[in-house]
Amino acid sequence: MAEYVVARADELKPGDRKLVAVGRIQVVLFRVGDAYHALPNICPHQFGPICEGKITGAIMANADTGWEPGWFHDGEVLVCPWHGLEFRITTGQCLAYPNVRLRQYPVIVDGDDVKIAL
Amino acid sequence: MVVATPRRLTLDDILVVDADVHVHETPDELAPYMDPEWRPAMENLRQVARRYLDMPGFGPNNAPRLPGTSLPSPRGGRVEIVWTAEQMRRELDEFSIDVGVIFPDHFLKLAALPNAAYATAITRAYHRWLKEKWLHAGNDLYATIMAIPQDPEESVREIERWADDERFVGIYLPTHQVYPIWGHRKYDPIYEVAQRHDLPVLLHAVSGIASGFPYNVEQFYTSITAHTVSHVFAMMSNLMSIMETGVPVRYPNLRIGFIEAGLTWVPFLRMRLDKEYNENRHQWPHFDDRPSRWIRKFYFGTQPVEEPENRQDLVDIIRIYDGEDTTVFATDWPHHDFDHPRAVFDLPVSNQVKRKLLGTNAMKLMPRIKVPAKYR
Repeated sequence: MAEYVVARADELKPGDRKLVAVGRIQVVLFRVGDAYHALPNICPHQFGPICEGKITGAIMANADTGWEPGWFHDGEVLVCPWHGLEFRITTGQCLAYPNVRLRQYPVIVDGDDVKIAL
Repeated sequence: MVVATPRRLTLDDILVVDADVHVHETPDELAPYMDPEWRPAMENLRQVARRYLDMPGFGPNNAPRLPGTSLPSPRGGRVEIVWTAEQMRRELDEFSIDVGVIFPDHFLKLAALPNAAYATAITRAYHRWLKEKWLHAGNDLYATIMAIPQDPEESVREIERWADDERFVGIYLPTHQVYPIWGHRKYDPIYEVAQRHDLPVLLHAVSGIASGFPYNVEQFYTSITAHTVSHVFAMMSNLMSIMETGVPVRYPNLRIGFIEAGLTWVPFLRMRLDKEYNENRHQWPHFDDRPSRWIRKFYFGTQPVEEPENRQDLVDIIRIYDGEDTTVFATDWPHHDFDHPRAVFDLPVSNQVKRKLLGTNAMKLMPRIKVPAKYR
C-alpha cells in the first residue's frame, strides 16, 4: 500500500473537501470536525460523482424516535448529486441499504502533510 | 414380486385452505341480531331494491352505472350465493377444500357507508350472525372480524369482543371506497389490537367503483376493464399507504395479507418502489433497507389467479416476489370469477410447494386454524 500526499494540514477547514486524482482513481478527502475521511468519488448505485454532492444531515425515524422523523448526523452525510443516495462520510455507510458501504481509504496526518493510503 | 408404484399426489391428499369464501348477509338475516335501536334500519331496507352487491344503505356501489344496461354473461345464471353453512361445506367439499375462511358479500362495501354508528351496528350484528349461523362445531369454517374504518375506536372494541374466539382467525379490512386509505395513523389502534392478539389483517378488494378511487376506473363502461384493474389499483394504493406510514416497521409482528387482487402486480410494485427509494429514502425515514424487504413479509391471495399460456411464467412471478412461503390459495367462492384449487395445484412446482401454496402458508398466516381431523 502506497501513501500519497493529498493536502497540506492547514488546507481544509471543518466541512471542507478536496477532490484528488491518484493515478486513475478519484478520491475525495473530507474534513469533518477535526477528523479526515477519504472516499472514492463514485456512487455504487449508478456510478455518479458522489463526492460532488451536498454535505448535510439526514432525516431518520426509528423506535428510539417513536417513529417520528428527526434530523441526525448534521454535517456528516454526503448526498449523491445524481439520485440522492445518502452516505455517512465518517463510516461510508449508505443510509438506504445496510449492506452498501463506500470504501474508506486510510488518512494519515504526517507533520504538515495529509496523506492517503491506496 | 409386486412392486407398488407411488400414486400421484392429488388434491385429496393435501390440506387445502381457502383463504376467501363469501357468505351472503342480508337485512332479513341480520335483523334478529341487531341491537334494538338499530333493528328498524333493517326494516327500512325492505324498501330498497335488492341488487346483488349493489344495494344502497347496505352494500352501496355508488357508481354512476345504470342497472340493467350491461350485457348479461353468456354463461347463464348460476346463483352466486351461499345461504347456509351446510351449503358452503358441501360446495367446498366438491372442490376438495378442507378449510374455508369467511368474508362477507355486501359488506365488501362497508367502508362506503357514511354513518359510523350504523356501520358499527351492522358489524356487531354480522359477527353475532356469523357465530351462530356459520361457525358450527367441526365444520372447518372460520371467519374474519370485520374492521370498521369509520370508527377505529369502536372497531377496536368490537375486535376485542371476538378476539378470544378461536373461530375468528383474522381481521378483514374493507378497501372499497375506504377513506382515508389504510395507512392513515387513525387506524393505528386497529393494527395495535391485531398485533396484540396475533390476528392478521387481511385487506380485501372488490370491483365496486366510485369517482376518484380507484383512480379513473369510473370512466370505463365494460366490467372487463374495471375488473382487470380496480382490485389491483385498490391494493396497490393501500399497500403503498401502509408502507408510507411505516405500519410494517411500527408493528413488526403484524401479519398483513392482500386478498383478491391476484399475484402479478406484486413484482412490479416491489421493483418500482425500490427504484424510487434510491432517490427518496428521506421521505420514508422509517425504513433502513429497500422497502421490498418488508413487502416480502406480506401475504398474497392467489385469486383471481393469473393463467398465463405458459404456467411456468406464474411460478417465475412467485419466485420473483419471494412468494413461495407467503402466497395463499383462495377461491372467492361463490363469486363469478372463483378459482378451482386445480388452477394452483397444477402449477409446475414440487409437491412440497403445492402443499405450501394450497394450505400450509395459510396456516402460517392464520395459525388459529386447526388442522382438520382428516390430517391429524
